[in-house]
Amino acid sequence: MKNNFSQPQRQSLIGVVVMFADTLQSAIRALWFILIVWILKIDELNKIYFIIGAVAVLIGVSLIAYLKYRNFTFFLDEENEEFVVHKGIWNKSRIAIPFDKIQQVNINQSIIQKIIGVHALEVDTAGSSGKEVAIRAISHDAALALKERLLEAGYKKKAVTKEFADGLETEDNHNHSFIQISLLSLFKTGITSNYTRSFALLLAFVITSFQYIEDFVKVAGYDEDPLDQYINTEVLLRFISFIIVGIMVLTLIINLVRTIVKYYNFKITRQQDSLLLSYGLINTKNTIIRPEKVQIVTIGRNYFQKRLDINDIKIRQASGVEANDKDQKKTAIEIPGCNNAEKDLLMRFLLEKIPERGIALKPSIRKIIMEAIGLLIIPLGIFFSLAYYAFPSIMEYAIFVPVYVLFVAIMIYFAFSHSRLFVTDDFIVKQSGAWDIDNDFIAPHKIQTISLTQYFWHKSSDIGIVTLHTAGGTISFGLADYTRLKQLVNYWLYQVEASPRNWM
Amino acid sequence: MEGYTNEPINTAALPRFEDVELTPLHPSYLKVIWLNFAMVYGIISIAAGVAFYFIEELRPYWLPITICYVVIVLLSIFISLVSFRNKGYAFRTHDAIYRSGAISLTTTIIPYNRVQHVALHEGFIARAFGLAQIEIFTAGGDKSDIQISGIEKQQAEKIKQLLMGKIIKEEANEE
Repeated sequence: MKNNFSQPQRQSLIGVVVMFADTLQSAIRALWFILIVWILKIDELNKIYFIIGAVAVLIGVSLIAYLKYRNFTFFLDEENEEFVVHKGIWNKSRIAIPFDKIQQVNINQSIIQKIIGVHALEVDTAGSSGKEVAIRAISHDAALALKERLLEAGYKKKAVTKEFADGLETEDNHNHSFIQISLLSLFKTGITSNYTRSFALLLAFVITSFQYIEDFVKVAGYDEDPLDQYINTEVLLRFISFIIVGIMVLTLIINLVRTIVKYYNFKITRQQDSLLLSYGLINTKNTIIRPEKVQIVTIGRNYFQKRLDINDIKIRQASGVEANDKDQKKTAIEIPGCNNAEKDLLMRFLLEKIPERGIALKPSIRKIIMEAIGLLIIPLGIFFSLAYYAFPSIMEYAIFVPVYVLFVAIMIYFAFSHSRLFVTDDFIVKQSGAWDIDNDFIAPHKIQTISLTQYFWHKSSDIGIVTLHTAGGTISFGLADYTRLKQLVNYWLYQVEASPRNWM
Repeated sequence: MEGYTNEPINTAALPRFEDVELTPLHPSYLKVIWLNFAMVYGIISIAAGVAFYFIEELRPYWLPITICYVVIVLLSIFISLVSFRNKGYAFRTHDAIYRSGAISLTTTIIPYNRVQHVALHEGFIARAFGLAQIEIFTAGGDKSDIQISGIEKQQAEKIKQLLMGKIIKEEANEE
């Protein structure tokens, strides 16, 4: 046993550099106002005083950094089953985290940590939103060993009844590499994702530049719109298509760079019965996925991605902290660029088996009408009534109405034709989306609450909406045959109530 | 594995939540609603009166403003009444059912083995009428919780005991 962490110990010595960077950063944050004054008046200031001042600050920061390093110790208290951290220069504090309160241990690397070759280890506990304890500089081996020990200790205590403690030691030692996402897959994902958002950006850009041209025309004092007369239509069209193609290429490149920077070197390893994810070019991130905590698995792909055999997998776990639905969507763990074989491997691990589609439930045609009212009739009604009664000037934008109507109508139509709910004994699968088609997978025993909603004008046509709440977010499906939905709800309730399986 | 059977279940024979007779809220709760209503709209009316008294420019518009206000009040009275009528709850062997809503009718069902905890609230006005509110929490976030107002205090206490008993029993079963 190389290091069992039972004695109080300091961080890596080189960690002083990280401490220094941290302290300098907070010093700058605290003193930025003075710094700006200094920089502005740099010519008037006596150079010697300035240098002395700067040196004094640097020495102060180094001293604080060193003391921070000296006074930070951590160890595992096996007797009391706690992870203990001592820290503080003036105000000493002792933080003890019981093993069974540890939710997750993350190992991350910022750019400074990467340069000097250390890692940060953060301990996430139940019951608080922030990371309670962070070790700022620890060598990779020590970080892995400590993480293993922390999680293992917590696991053992939590699951005394489960009899996997014996197999733990042997399995721990060799972590199987599970999946590695290649640069090519990331490239494929980068150039095929976020089209809808790019299109919306494009439209917004065209509208604003239109506005800009109009303003320019007014200021320049032309009586007539030069778009019609002074500028050759052909030149203008060429210019506009050049701009549009330019924006398309730009968004493509931005998406590509964003994807690669965020997910570079995406590695998934299997550790005991959880998955360890690590990825990132500038900041390396580490996350753990435990199958029993997974609530919703979403597999998304669009037409191009289907052709290129890549899937985008999003995993939503039960969060220790209360979060609203929006936050949970944000905290979903994303695995980009998996091919079908990798996807199946992950699905088998996370959901125990590869879900079959089963019987499909289609939405009612009234869904199209509802969405047309919500996205076309109401916004256009507001637009035209505003243009008519209050601001006649916005009438100029009416030329974009056909583009908007066409785009939204196509989206509504495809969203409707893709919208399905597949139900089998083991899974509920919701398929949705117009261009990017998402499949949300839920196992019935993950359901917390079921609600059924029906507007009074839907009563006569017997349609309604079903919503399944889980600890990792909600899934809604509608408008569909209400009688059928009620049958399904009764069936799911039976599954939840009769099965001893817990949701976590 | 002895005595283990795995018969196909007859989904048509499953108990149907939609056939359960729901208990309506206590009639006194309507009084609580009206009192709250009177308070809110009373304050708005007084504020409007003060505004008309001090701001002379507003006075020519008294007729459209009053008509709008009366329409809004009547509409809210109607909606409150409908939503009171629609509200109902039931506690089955394995789950709690709550129905609410005016324009849309929502039925929410929480299985007891997913309940995290139960809270009992007493509002200021509701207490005068001997009423309480039961709130049932799950791990599914705000929207998956149910709040049942307008239950008689004693009844609410009993419900809370029942739910707590169920939670403990479910936990014992898991061990």
